[in-house]
Formats: sequence, structure tokens, C-alpha cells
Amino acid sequence: MRLVSLFLGLNAALLLTGCKVSHPGVVEAKVALAVKHELTVGNKDERNPVQFNAKVLTSGKEAFGHYCIACHGLDGQNTGVPFATHMSPPVPSLASADIQRYTDGQLKWIIDNGIAPSGMPASHGILSDKEIWSMVYYIRHLPTAGSLGEPEMYTH
Amino acid sequence: MRSNHFAATLGIAILAGAITISSYSAQDPPRKITVEAKRYQFTPSEIDLKKNVPVVIEFTSKDVDHGLVFDDLALTAKIGKGKTIDVPFTPTEAGTFVGQCSSFCGEGHGSMKLTIHVTE
Repeated sequence: MRLVSLFLGLNAALLLTGCKVSHPGVVEAKVALAVKHELTVGNKDERNPVQFNAKVLTSGKEAFGHYCIACHGLDGQNTGVPFATHMSPPVPSLASADIQRYTDGQLKWIIDNGIAPSGMPASHGILSDKEIWSMVYYIRHLPTAGSLGEPEMYTH
Repeated sequence: MRSNHFAATLGIAILAGAITISSYSAQDPPRKITVEAKRYQFTPSEIDLKKNVPVVIEFTSKDVDHGLVFDDLALTAKIGKGKTIDVPFTPTEAGTFVGQCSSFCGEGHGSMKLTIHVTE
């Protein structure tokens, strides 16, 4: 009986500790990144079917502004997002090499399907395919960090 | 002789004018098609049009801001919350065209579509 109590107590402690948000270690982060790039994030070979032009880029920026800015900021680089570095894993800057290394098809896949267990949600159906492909262009042409200010929701 | 010629010319002119006026007034006004926009669908979701026949599409938003955009048709609309707008439109190509809500309206926005069938 005593042994069972001890076992349950240890499990409870483990669970509580496991729930706590903490930054992933260097090894964990590198392994997770490699797994995402090479294994779990699909659609590597699909090319962006939308013809690039200034209007499409504007549409992509507008679509990004619908709700991506809540986590990624207006500039895609987390400017003004108060919790970006406090999430586990932290919200990445979309201008970072780790993100830009994804192919266009993979970026579309991530926006469509999200990434578990990070906070990245699936947006398939919430946004149209054309809007998502336009957003991929926006992610490839992000403005200078901080140049667009902070999302309005965090400035009140 | 000269006055006869003048009378004949005047008569022809009056006749031509009358025909023009009568044919103009006989033209039917463009058909009006009513489309309601409400999260997350257009009702009706499909409409049938004839090539080169002008229509007026009356869009009404029943809730939030909506919009409409087509890749291959010169037809766009911005429909404000609770507003009704008339959009004159004349299709110039036959085919099936799928438009998409262009104003983010919520979680089903991406699947809010309107299909237009244009026949010869």
C-alpha cells in the first residue's frame, strides 16, 4: 500500500513537472527541427501555383493580418507579441533561417495542418488555398523587423 | 417638288426616331439576382448566367463584412456588415467560375464560395 502511494506520488510529481512550460534544450530543439524538416512536414515538392506580383504580395500580407499577427506580429518576426518567447517551443521568427529553409510547399503544409505539439494551429478551411499561397509569398518577403509596429490588440 | 422631298425626308426622320425610341424602351432592364452572404456561405451558392447578357447581382450581408473575388472574372464586391449592394455584371466568357469570400469572416471563411455558370 505504501509502495503504491509512493508510485502514485512520483507519477503525479512527474506529471506536474511535465506540464510546466520551459524552453527546450539545445539537443531537443535541434532534433525537433530536423524531424520537422525531413520527416513530419510534408508537401516538400509542391510549388507555389499562384503567379507572383505586387497585388498577390499585398493579398498575402492582408491574409496574414487576419489572425497570424496574434502570434507572429505584423512583420512575422514577433514584434510586440508579449508571449512569443514564453511559449514552448518559443514562437519562431518567420524570417529566421530555420523557417526560410522550408520549401514553399512545406510552408503551405504547415499553415494548412499546423504543427503539434507547438501552438501553431491548422488553418485549412479557415483561409482559402489562394490566400495561403499568397501568405507564403509574404513570408518570403517579410518587412524589416519592427517596421510595421505592433499588433493593435497589444497596444491598448 | 422640293417641298415633297422635304416632307418625305422629314417623315423618314420621324419614323426612324420613333423606331429608335420604341426599341430603346422595349429593352428589358438587367435581370436582378439576389445573393445573401452569411457565415459561411453564399445563398444561392451557384447561379446561372448567359454570356454577354447583363445582370445586376444584389448582395446582402446578413451578419459581418463579406467580400467576393474571382480569379477569372471581372467581378468583385465588398459587402459591409448588414448592407445591401447592387453589382452590375456582364459575363463575357462562357464557363464555370468559382469565387471566394475576400473579407475574412471567421473560421469557415476559406470555404465560403460562390459558383457562377456562364453559358453561350
